[in-house]
Amino acid sequence: MNYIQLEKLGEGTYATVYKGRSRTTNEIVALKEIHLDAEEGTPSTAIREISLMKELKHVNIVRLHDVIHTETKLVLIFEYCERDLKKYMDAHGDRGALDPLTVRSFMFQLLMGTAFCHENRVLHRDLKPQNLLINRKGELKLGDFGLARAFGVPVNTFSNEVVTLWYRAPDVLLGSRTYSTSIDVWSCGCIFAEMISGVPLFRGRDNNDQLLHIMRIIGTPDERTIRKMAQESPEIQVKQWPRYPKIPFQQILPKASPQAIDLLERLLQFDPAKRLTAAEALQHPYFASAGMSAPSAAAGQPYAMAPPAAMPPPSNYPYQHPQQVYPQQAPPNPQMAAMQQAQAMAQQAPNGYAQYPAGYTR
Amino acid sequence: MAGLPPLASLSQIKNTPSSLDGIPADLEEDLRAYGCKLIHQAGVLLKLKQVAVATAQILFQRFFYVSSMKQFGIGDTGMGALYLSSKLQECPVKMRDLINVFDLLFQRAAHTVSPSSHPLPDFKYSPMSYFGSTFYDLKESLVVSEMQILKRLGFNTNVVLPYGTLVNYMRLLGLTSREDAVSRAWGYLNDALQTPVYALYAVPTIISAAILLTTRHLDIPLPSTPPNCWWELFDAEWEDLWTVCGYIMRLYRERSPEERSRVVGMMGKKDVRRWLESRPNASQ
Repeated sequence: MNYIQLEKLGEGTYATVYKGRSRTTNEIVALKEIHLDAEEGTPSTAIREISLMKELKHVNIVRLHDVIHTETKLVLIFEYCERDLKKYMDAHGDRGALDPLTVRSFMFQLLMGTAFCHENRVLHRDLKPQNLLINRKGELKLGDFGLARAFGVPVNTFSNEVVTLWYRAPDVLLGSRTYSTSIDVWSCGCIFAEMISGVPLFRGRDNNDQLLHIMRIIGTPDERTIRKMAQESPEIQVKQWPRYPKIPFQQILPKASPQAIDLLERLLQFDPAKRLTAAEALQHPYFASAGMSAPSAAAGQPYAMAPPAAMPPPSNYPYQHPQQVYPQQAPPNPQMAAMQQAQAMAQQAPNGYAQYPAGYTR
Repeated sequence: MAGLPPLASLSQIKNTPSSLDGIPADLEEDLRAYGCKLIHQAGVLLKLKQVAVATAQILFQRFFYVSSMKQFGIGDTGMGALYLSSKLQECPVKMRDLINVFDLLFQRAAHTVSPSSHPLPDFKYSPMSYFGSTFYDLKESLVVSEMQILKRLGFNTNVVLPYGTLVNYMRLLGLTSREDAVSRAWGYLNDALQTPVYALYAVPTIISAAILLTTRHLDIPLPSTPPNCWWELFDAEWEDLWTVCGYIMRLYRERSPEERSRVVGMMGKKDVRRWLESRPNASQ
């Protein structure tokens, strides 16, 4: 093999991951070793992961470099990332909670990666902190496409057994099999809240309990919403639910800015049709707000992204914001701003763990 | 990625791996069709979704543009393709069920070509023993064949099925009120799965060909003189339509009893090799 196997990084249900080094380039990689089972042939997770990931090339998606195929095993060679978001939060967060700038940068990158998948007609179907990898440059990358699938002209019904429970969208919990990109958007919303607070937002024990957890926070949807959802996905089981009122997210996440709350609100919509798309979410004023970058700007950090004032406001943001909280200056192009931020971060972090994660720690 | 599905290249079409091994074009065409028929029959017996069956047939056709029937038997490959597609379409079948069904189909095929007395006695299926070697041999071929399909197709398992688009096209042409036309076109699309066209042409072209055959057979007039040709709405070329129609119509050609039994007796690679060796003027 062209790679030297180094220490073991982790073990999953169907694969073992090792750190590795290329014999030719010395590059550090992750080797995911999948044992071929005589009972079920090539695992479907591996088939999905390879067939989808080999084409998905984006900074915010873990790159699959190569596949080595032998009689007894299949080795996937991935770009190496230091750790996953879960571990990152444990190590760098304040009891798990990340500072607002990090949250915003990670959220932006998460949505960029997700939007890219959706543009290429791939559903990830298992977004959660453990599947988001962070490298030393502070880049966030979507990994583990073992549950992902391609979607196209809707002729198919999909499996209902997708997404780790805590990040599973309510329409899927209700039994939907005709879900689409909105299920990934729900997971993004859950991860967003978790980065802000440090703890998972909805922690159910089982399918039904998970639904109750969701309803206790975002409120039980009214009859009309449920009926509409059942009409759009006939597999949905309509039941009677206890009537919970909506709790404002501000109450649950007191640290979050009003814009963060507004974005979260639009991601965590019970009705999948009402959720923002990942591409729309990227246009949200949250990513353009100047107020948030003030502390680090004062500290002379490179985040002071000095938005070019001439830049037109985000034109395709489709929602009228209720209270104008960002009127002072013309909102900069949010993508540019976040991109500059990411680049600044990348430049800030030269090599080595010492500086990891490049200015994020305070 | 869910982009456009890969199509065979010109050189792969001109010189298929099987033809390079000396298998004549008409035999290859018949073996391809027979392999797909087996997949279809197995799919029906297993009560699999049609999307899984269609996916398996398309992967099977693609596979023989990168591999020869002298190296890979159509029986094993059909079995591997169906197993793989049931995973891809999220309705996985149990290995044992699949093996039992293919064993039945193989036995029935062997029965029809057995050199025994005439008239042929009725076919009697004898189930394999639970721990017998038949099962383990078939299982081994199944796993190897699935792996070979993935490997040789480079994990390009994305397949675009034509059904949804057919409905749109028929609606656009105002043909949805003709139920006979809709079901006939649907049938041509399914039959086309026994030909290589899904590995050769874009889906709109294949659908247009199915509509052309339908409207010709049912005498439904559609604007067909330049500059108003209906198939141009779907970016299809007349020559391509005509070729696809040819592939489909050749399926319905009457075959002699010899032609039929020739195919049935060549389900395995060993049978193909034996046949190649037995040819009087084998050109090696």
